[in-house]
Amino acid sequence: MKRLPTCSLVALLALLAAPPALATGSLAVVVNARCGVALLTRNEVVNIFFGRYRQFFNGREAQPVDLVDSNPARSQFYRRLVGKDLSEINAYWSRQIFSGRMQALPKVATPEEAARWVAANPCGIGFIEQTKVDARFNIVYELAP
Amino acid sequence: MAISLFPKLSGSLSRPVRRLALALAVAGAACAWPAAGQAGDFTIGGFGTLGAVRTSSDDVEFVRDLSQPRGARSHWTGRTDSIFGLQASWRINPDFEAVVQGVSRYRYDRTFTPDIASAYLRYEPNPALSLRFGRLGTEFFMLADSRQVGYSYLTVRPPGDYFWFLPFFSIDGADAALTVPVADNMLRGKVYYGVADGKIPLADRQWDIGGSPLMGAYLEYQTGAWVLRGSYANIRFNRDLPIAQDFFALVPAYLTAGQARGALEYLETDGTRSHYYSLGLVYDSGPWQFQVLLNSIDQGSKAFESSWGGYVLAGYRVASVTPYLGYSWIDSRRRGASVHPGVAVVQADSHADQGTVIVGARWDAMRNVAFKLQWDAIRGDSSSIFPYRREQPDWDGRLDVFSLTMDFVF
Repeated sequence: MKRLPTCSLVALLALLAAPPALATGSLAVVVNARCGVALLTRNEVVNIFFGRYRQFFNGREAQPVDLVDSNPARSQFYRRLVGKDLSEINAYWSRQIFSGRMQALPKVATPEEAARWVAANPCGIGFIEQTKVDARFNIVYELAP
Repeated sequence: MAISLFPKLSGSLSRPVRRLALALAVAGAACAWPAAGQAGDFTIGGFGTLGAVRTSSDDVEFVRDLSQPRGARSHWTGRTDSIFGLQASWRINPDFEAVVQGVSRYRYDRTFTPDIASAYLRYEPNPALSLRFGRLGTEFFMLADSRQVGYSYLTVRPPGDYFWFLPFFSIDGADAALTVPVADNMLRGKVYYGVADGKIPLADRQWDIGGSPLMGAYLEYQTGAWVLRGSYANIRFNRDLPIAQDFFALVPAYLTAGQARGALEYLETDGTRSHYYSLGLVYDSGPWQFQVLLNSIDQGSKAFESSWGGYVLAGYRVASVTPYLGYSWIDSRRRGASVHPGVAVVQADSHADQGTVIVGARWDAMRNVAFKLQWDAIRGDSSSIFPYRREQPDWDGRLDVFSLTMDFVF
């Protein structure tokens, strides 16, 4: 799906300005610390990032953010989470979107932007490099390389 | 592009759907181009398949499903599998969303005239509940709602023995889906009701099923990589098959007028209800994909034979290539003794008795583009003619189908 027109333009510019470095460290799934979610199971993380269910166990609505395909952290995240290639993830989403089951998750260009999104939304959830985690976030799930 | 599409399509739409499409077009026009601040609320996307298919025989024509009037024979053709779809959606606020999808495919009238495949308003008051109103894709069987989107599945086309007999693509109505977490697994249920839209080609005529009430429900349980779904649907046809003139053409040489009327009464479909039951199990983890789907179709009209069918499919991804292997089958039950030979001919038309070995590979060559190569080895009885068009007397039930497609999404 194409987001018109500013989002993709911003993403493109960001991409051209600073090609994302290949993240080699651990990725962490983080939730805004104010949301009150301390830990998730792998299934719960999968449920949220595959759009199956967007509610935390405490009843608050999860606000997930994904990355664009061109950022290597996206393929790392899904390979470590479910062992799937991006082509399979995109095939899954094309089924959801065109069958009318749900819309794609919002996407940003870099893990830094994802961190800003999570910090800005009361129950934001995203994946960022573990070394970039600070007090604004709770690490709810770790994905070792 | 999408916006200029709506006026062209809207001529064939019922009034509420047309109004919704128009509202979305206007809304889209208002927010997509000038209002950069709202641009994130309007999305546009599409999917398509460019396909070529040929078979080993000129004795029957191979179709993707029974909504196609002509099919493939021993020369390559692009019409069977080629599809193009465009979808526009507008998130009005966090709870409401409007979606319109237009699809162009080879259809009942031998054209690629685009249809509005869906046009609905969705209301999601909370993460557990989703309500939709308008024109909706049908979900008779698991995976049936995304049959047109080749990029979303492994094979060239949904296995025919399982999906041929579902020429119902959309309903005008409503559905409600409820998702309930069970520990960290998901239980999801859905009910829908509406009136069917569409025509089914029969020889040189068309059987209009538009306006036939259709309803169904499914229950799905998802645990890790496994999804199990049971579903039920039924449709009550509101017109008879267009066969009256064939019977009256036999009067008085072969039949009396009374016999012709009797035959048509015996074969009536108007007011009869067909029931569809299915059970599906899907496993999808790492490089593995595995599907088992079973169905049973109970036809209310004596014009059709009831059937059961299914398929198993397994694929394993190696780098960007996923070879797959499957087997599908369909078996219909003959009706008892008919009132006379004319009736038996009509009933025999809906007979199917065959199995298909499916061998192929999907290659994800680049982002959002996949190429597929597939061989279907169909082995059946010569009486198995329901899935085909224009069967010839030499038809022996054996057919090899070779397909090549390029699927894309954007």
